Amino acid sequence: MNTVDEILDYAIDQEQQAADFYADMAKRAEKGGMKEIFLEFSAEEERHRDKLLNVKQGDQELHANQAVINLKISDYLVDVEPHENISYQDALIVAMKRERAAFRLYSDMAEKVTEPALQDVFLGLAKEEAKHKLFFESEYDERVLKDN
Amino acid sequence: MSLKDLISPFFVWQRAFEKPYTVGLKPIVERPGAPAYRGFHINMSDDCVGCGSCFTICQNHAIDMVKVDGLEAHGGDSGLRPRFDYGRCCWCGLCVDICTAGSLRMTNEYAWFTTNPDDFRFVAGMENKSWDGRTGGYHRHPDYHLFPPKRIEMEMLAPEESVASFTEVAKGYTEEQAKLEADRCVECGICVATCPAHMDVPDYIHSIRDGDYEKGLQLMYRTNPFPATCGRICTRRCESVCPVGIQGEPVAIRWLKRFIVDQVAEADYARILPNVEADTGKRIAIVGAGPGGLSAAYYLRLKGHAVEVFESQAQAGGMLRYGVPSYRLPDPALDKDIEHIRSLGVEIHFNHSIGRDTAFSDLLDNYDAVFVSTGLNVPSQMRIQGEDHPRVMDGLKLLDDVANGKDPQIGTSVAVIGGGNVAMDAARVSRRLGAEVTVLYRRRIEDMPADTEEIHEAQAEGCIFVTQAIPVEALNAAQSDQVTLKWGEAEMLQDPKGGRPRPVLQEERMHLDTFDTVVSAIGQGSNLDYIPTEISDQLQIKWGKFIPGDYQQMVLNKLFVGGDVANATADAISAIEDGHHAARGIHRFLDTGQRG
Repeated sequence: MNTVDEILDYAIDQEQQAADFYADMAKRAEKGGMKEIFLEFSAEEERHRDKLLNVKQGDQELHANQAVINLKISDYLVDVEPHENISYQDALIVAMKRERAAFRLYSDMAEKVTEPALQDVFLGLAKEEAKHKLFFESEYDERVLKDN
Repeated sequence: MSLKDLISPFFVWQRAFEKPYTVGLKPIVERPGAPAYRGFHINMSDDCVGCGSCFTICQNHAIDMVKVDGLEAHGGDSGLRPRFDYGRCCWCGLCVDICTAGSLRMTNEYAWFTTNPDDFRFVAGMENKSWDGRTGGYHRHPDYHLFPPKRIEMEMLAPEESVASFTEVAKGYTEEQAKLEADRCVECGICVATCPAHMDVPDYIHSIRDGDYEKGLQLMYRTNPFPATCGRICTRRCESVCPVGIQGEPVAIRWLKRFIVDQVAEADYARILPNVEADTGKRIAIVGAGPGGLSAAYYLRLKGHAVEVFESQAQAGGMLRYGVPSYRLPDPALDKDIEHIRSLGVEIHFNHSIGRDTAFSDLLDNYDAVFVSTGLNVPSQMRIQGEDHPRVMDGLKLLDDVANGKDPQIGTSVAVIGGGNVAMDAARVSRRLGAEVTVLYRRRIEDMPADTEEIHEAQAEGCIFVTQAIPVEALNAAQSDQVTLKWGEAEMLQDPKGGRPRPVLQEERMHLDTFDTVVSAIGQGSNLDYIPTEISDQLQIKWGKFIPGDYQQMVLNKLFVGGDVANATADAISAIEDGHHAARGIHRFLDTGQRG
């Protein structure tokens, strides 16, 4: 990935893959109500994809320097394998972990590249993923950690 | 008669076409009312909760409670405000004396000129008046109350005594205490609107004043067949809005409810309470014998329907029996409620699990209606490393073991993770089992969802609270029968969207503490696995909870749901109301075929 467009294409593809992953989980989910949850997750990823498409077309900007809160909830949770009978709690863990992995990937890439323009794109993408992670962590904090 | 006497009356005609005027100065300008004069009323509308105590006490019927444009009823506020009729008012000041919110007072203004008699009926505080802002006039002295601001204290076991056994902590009111406490009620009824079951609180409290406890029991059973239970463990939202609590302590509604039930022997229930109506020939299946399921069973049975309840446990009561410790809710009190329901002919199939022993679809096929109230009985996992350590257990398991008379073998040092009622119960039960207890909670005391009373009692019983503490790992301890908990301190971060503050782990401030047992009580979820996918796919379910329509009815006409598995409040009184509401919906559906 040597150009901004290549990086954005990769990121757009990742968001699409995430949307497809959740759509597939929605088809397989057996637990009552989980289909709708996964479809919501999938729609959220499609919104992320659309935002990056807008960025690529110059209609929106990524903000590499914006501050995003890190609740660190997913940092200390065990990994969960997605399966047909997955609970809402575990589905959120899967989502948080995926966003965290993406955040770390883009953050690492930002450190490795030397060209400032590319660095800015990676940092901007990292911030986007941090926001997505915050969304799922806030949801986990509200709905799963009700008594904690 | 002289000529002058004859003519002089005609002199007044010389002024007949002049504009009338008053001679001299108006005396009222010169003579303001005395400093404590009982003149025109002022009501601080923002402080007023529309309790209507002024309306009730007014001997001249000079006050009406009226709806005011722009003011809506909401929790603790009726949305009504007092309208005064100065054609009737005698300015006695009783309305000011009784005002629970302290919002009503009188100015020392006493002169009011208007050509429209209707002006003398006005809503104080909602219409601009010339005396608005006046500070003089009659105020109730802060130390003078028509009712005592302090509630009659419930006698409780001392903490050192309470931790020594599972004996009920609250001892109950004597008749004298109950009557004194009942006298504090102003019978406003704001509690009725707030109570999820809309219990007729003012009237059953009135029955205590009258010494007519049978009537009190009848009133309670109209909307709640668990009064002995709710008289002990209700979350008492009624008390949180009691206007007597604005300037004092709220009326002890829960304890008064308990008092009434305790005065009537179960053997007399059949004589006092309603009997079953004629058999309708309809059969209804209920899944779960908790408060929601049995409330539905009670009201449906009264209507003459045959009711069968399927309960996976060996006894009825659900979380009331297996989740609430006996020092808060002794079995005899719960049994008193349940036995009356069963006495009407409600059949309970114990140890009968839907999904395992009977297919859910069979219920839909074989019964005229199905009510599901299976609760939240699956503990949320912490999902931290080492959670499967043998010395880590969940709070529901601990409470269930104790309720079943099993020794959970927790040792002498216990950490309880969580800040809800299950966590408090687990902590206090652990103290009774002889353990030193540390409660670790991610947020602050004020953020705890547990009942404040439970938190205070846990503290009084010696539980140590460590707040802003986030567990991150359970590790093997030096001794195999212990566990080491790694936890970190947290800083609270304000939620920009206005929610409760969120804790953020401070990784440089980690701690290691070793316990005999770590009890996880961070929340519970539902288990709906007994509903096959082809049925659940048709239902609206979100975050593990049913989303019912009116009368608790689901999209499948026969299916009604309620209780913790279908509401956001997850407390007994809401489940009881859900059951009652669903019973009305089911009866209506069976009677008329109409959806809710």
